[in-house]
Amino acid sequence: MPGEGEASGAESSTKAPPADKAELDRAFTDLYRTHLRDVYSYAYYKVGNHHDAEDLTEQAFLQAYRHFERARRESNGRPLRPWLIRIAHNLASNYYRDRARRPEANIEAVEPPAHPHETERVVEGREELREVIARLDDLPDDRREALIMRFALGMDNREIARALGRSDGATKVLIHRAIKQLEELMSDE
Amino acid sequence: MSEQAGELKLERLLADALRPVEPPESLATRVETTLSSIAQQAAAELSNWADELSEGEREALRDPRNWVRPVAAVAVGGAAAAALVLVEARRRRRPHGVRATVERRIKDLT
Repeated sequence: MPGEGEASGAESSTKAPPADKAELDRAFTDLYRTHLRDVYSYAYYKVGNHHDAEDLTEQAFLQAYRHFERARRESNGRPLRPWLIRIAHNLASNYYRDRARRPEANIEAVEPPAHPHETERVVEGREELREVIARLDDLPDDRREALIMRFALGMDNREIARALGRSDGATKVLIHRAIKQLEELMSDE
Repeated sequence: MSEQAGELKLERLLADALRPVEPPESLATRVETTLSSIAQQAAAELSNWADELSEGEREALRDPRNWVRPVAAVAVGGAAAAALVLVEARRRRRPHGVRATVERRIKDLT
């Protein structure tokens, strides 16, 4: 999973002013390759199925491409992953609004991927994991999203704060409360 | 179990449950194809636009001496439009109707 360290290779170029279109395209390709899995994972956990997650991911990168030059200029060398996740987050919100629906199924019930990843095999064998995933759906959206960013994408508090448009402190509290609430929900079972 | 230990256990469970999801290979190809087609289209449009202009026209576009005429045309056009607006405003200020016309005629005769 690309963490901050891995992302820095792709994003070191964000510090340099764009030389030309070809250089910009190369930088975007780096960004895209580094973060495809992050954006896809986020989209998948948001919408609950692979088909819509693929569409959302594609849309997110197309939108990012349109605004990449400005984002790079204004990022001052900071990682662009939170910006990408925020784009995916906004698109997912529009997705719900346009279709006037929430995910039809929670994560545990989503269709299996073409190549089942390890999570699903693990979940099959472990009741506790099933329960965690089921209870995640009972959390308020912002808490659930913060946990997805933390655990599925490995984002730190600062990155999550930037993706959610909150302060670092507020994000720390949000994650702490999310874990507390999840714990309570599980102990209620 | 202590509160902290409980939290740690839950965090471990979350890390297990929320694994990153590998995108299908077809998605990577799909996005790359779309992106490169957009980039090619943009490059082609730019190149077509440049090709449509002759070398002389491109030189002329870059020469600031040739910017004087369009700027002067815009200034003259703007002044003419302002004058028209003033004339129309003055016309509207004048009283009209039968009574006003009769009064104006009487005034002209005296």
